[in-house]
Amino acid sequence: MHRVLYDNTLRPSRRSVLMGAAAVGAGMMMPAGARAQDATPQRGGTLRVSMPYNPASLDPITGRNLPDFNSLYALYDALIGFDDETLELQPMLAKSWEWSDPSTLVLELQEGVTFHDDTPFDADAVVFNLRRGLDYERSNVRSDLSGVNAVEATGPMQVTISLDAPNAALPAILSNRAGCMVSPTAVQAAEGGNIDRAPVGTGPFRFIEWRDNDLIRVERNDSYWQGPELPYLDGIEYRIINELNTAARTVTSGQADLALQLAAQQIMVARRSDNIIATATTSMTYYTAFFNYARGPLADLKVRQAMNYALNRADLQQVLMMGLGEATCSIFPSEFWASGPDAKDYYPHDPERARELLTEAGYPDGVEIATLSWPDQAAMQRTEIIGNQLAQVGIRLNVTPVQPAQAIQVFMIDGQGDMLISPTGGNPDPSLAFDRQFSATALRNAGKIELPGYRELLEATMTTYDFDERQQKLFELELFVAENALHLPQYMSAGMAIQTGKVKDFTFGILAAPRFHTVWLDENA
Amino acid sequence: MHGVGRMVMRRGAQLIPVMIIATFVVFALVFLMPGDPAATLAGDFATEERIMEIRALYGFDQPFIVQYGRWLWNALHFDLGQSLFSNEEVSTLILMRLPHTLLLVFYALILGAITGIPLGILAATRQGTRLDKAITSLASLGVAVPNFWLGIILVSAFALDWRIFPATGAVSIFEDPIQAIYYATLPAVALSTNVTAVLTRQVRSALLEVLSAQYIRTLRAKGLRPQAVLWRHGLRNIAATILTVAGLQFNLLFSSAVIVESVYAVPGVGSLISYSALNKDFPVVQGVALVLVVLVIAVNLLVDVFNSILDPRVAAST
Repeated sequence: MHRVLYDNTLRPSRRSVLMGAAAVGAGMMMPAGARAQDATPQRGGTLRVSMPYNPASLDPITGRNLPDFNSLYALYDALIGFDDETLELQPMLAKSWEWSDPSTLVLELQEGVTFHDDTPFDADAVVFNLRRGLDYERSNVRSDLSGVNAVEATGPMQVTISLDAPNAALPAILSNRAGCMVSPTAVQAAEGGNIDRAPVGTGPFRFIEWRDNDLIRVERNDSYWQGPELPYLDGIEYRIINELNTAARTVTSGQADLALQLAAQQIMVARRSDNIIATATTSMTYYTAFFNYARGPLADLKVRQAMNYALNRADLQQVLMMGLGEATCSIFPSEFWASGPDAKDYYPHDPERARELLTEAGYPDGVEIATLSWPDQAAMQRTEIIGNQLAQVGIRLNVTPVQPAQAIQVFMIDGQGDMLISPTGGNPDPSLAFDRQFSATALRNAGKIELPGYRELLEATMTTYDFDERQQKLFELELFVAENALHLPQYMSAGMAIQTGKVKDFTFGILAAPRFHTVWLDENA
Repeated sequence: MHGVGRMVMRRGAQLIPVMIIATFVVFALVFLMPGDPAATLAGDFATEERIMEIRALYGFDQPFIVQYGRWLWNALHFDLGQSLFSNEEVSTLILMRLPHTLLLVFYALILGAITGIPLGILAATRQGTRLDKAITSLASLGVAVPNFWLGIILVSAFALDWRIFPATGAVSIFEDPIQAIYYATLPAVALSTNVTAVLTRQVRSALLEVLSAQYIRTLRAKGLRPQAVLWRHGLRNIAATILTVAGLQFNLLFSSAVIVESVYAVPGVGSLISYSALNKDFPVVQGVALVLVVLVIAVNLLVDVFNSILDPRVAAST
């Protein structure tokens, strides 16, 4: 069972085949448009980034939203790394890991690493961080680490984690927030242990300042353990610009080098400019509608399937994503290793079949679905088009617009409404992705029930450690979710960014969590 | 001047109750918005349990009056608290952002005044001519044009096509005043059109009214030169109108700044309050509301003080 999840037999992604030998090393794969041709990286320069979200916190475990990762991996290294394109796990602060038995994970740590405040990184620091993730009252990763029973330093550079039950997703969890290492000295010195605004990690860049909702500045970590060459940049200035069109304009006007987390509209506009590179790359975020299948019309499998047959996903993707996404009935992009061959096109657009199923379910005159949707313009547009497609087979959406936070309360906690149209995703591990949406304990599972067979399939994906076997188990689970029409998936989003030709070797990655350590600026471009 | 002093005293005494009422109303409005920040605070992969924990941790499960009372008590001790979401001190946030907004607002006000007042005078003194009609139509257009739209047009012309001004951003006036004004120019122009338009119309109609008054006719009949009548008697009498309109525009500019700041990515209080209100970040919304209330009251008072200096009847009547 030696490091089975760090496995090179992963199904290669479309892009990695395309890149072939051009990949110089881990994390060097990049979008085709941004590929440096025969260029040697240059040291120096400050990368100016525009991004639409102010992070909630720069403490990995108290932060909460996916866009926080625009800056998190610049400041912090996690115990385990991952390939940007495939999510294949790679050594990082843990140079290797091994399951000594299915409930015990042993990490061997990288030597010679120090935090930005010169605190040495060792087994005690790891124990401190994992305990903090479990015990700190403001920790948002407690549920990620919930099966962890004990964390021990079993050597100066060795940590042993014991679990209550096997969990094959643990290494991937340690590549995310819960595995990001914060300086214990900094936490102990901070009032109440709160380092939200004073982050100290081991990452390629050290923190300089954060003007709230305006600017985050980081500077090269001269003693980076993957150095001395890396990182190439002297620093990064992240400008926080909430309005997407404004953020995109900073690049067109030359005030920024790179704008992150844009929408399809800005990509299409930017593609009209000659000297701007606009990229839309594979993403783990997907658009769906969560169902409450514990009661009401959606408790009937036939109604749920009818809804799935009624959608024309290709049209939706074309109109709402301008063709930059991927129409799918799965929750993963088709090139992701846990996505099987059969789920993506499980429900072809078939209005006839949808009507038949509705009639069989006892709704020959159609059915009304109480629907919640976010109130912003893009979400309302999405809801209208979906509603229109469903109406053609007699499924009428009765839509109530609600703010995202309110939607969580009303739909997921209070159990009102039949469905909620919302994007989701971005999980580092496929088992987690299913668990967080479909388990009875999942917030997104509004009915809080599991259909017979689900639990066994999910547990099989968590307790199977051999890569190929686990992949098969995940395919089965993916198919189970599709067959039972547990939600209304529409399309995968894309990681959308625009940049000038100066920016080299930037890759947004499918988790939209860039590290920036190999990014460089070509002053001659 | 005795009247002026009394007015200032009386307004000062009103400040505290107005501040309490205003912040109470704002707090109630934010509170009435459905949902609480706990779900946002718990993150993208929250569990229900975690949301409940956060609710208790931050006291969102407390009754409205307890939450407001706690905020007010701290505010009275000059502690505006911290942002729920980013943990930044609210006072720091305001101190960092207010100068940007004040610069925009004053800049727009000055631009509006130096264009609106002359245009109004010109239109009034050439009443009925083609010039008057052109100015009046332009003023109607100025009121009608939404300033966020104008903002986008200005960016595309002067920042993207010709690259004369920066498209986005702001520089602190304390760091580099010249750059600060340079960066603020496009947004200030976008903000100023409404001021120009309103001032033009108000100055024109006020001046027309004054110029048709009995005493002006008497002055003219006495043989005073038209220029002297206009400058010494006409304009002096509309000064109060100009001040009052400018004061009202100052208050309105803060609300227009909300949108213009987001078009130009200016880190001011306008973008701060819209962002915080949407996220139900109580302490920030309350803090900004408090500061804006004080500003509005102060500007109104200033306008009244000037008016009473210009016209002693004002002080006597308030």
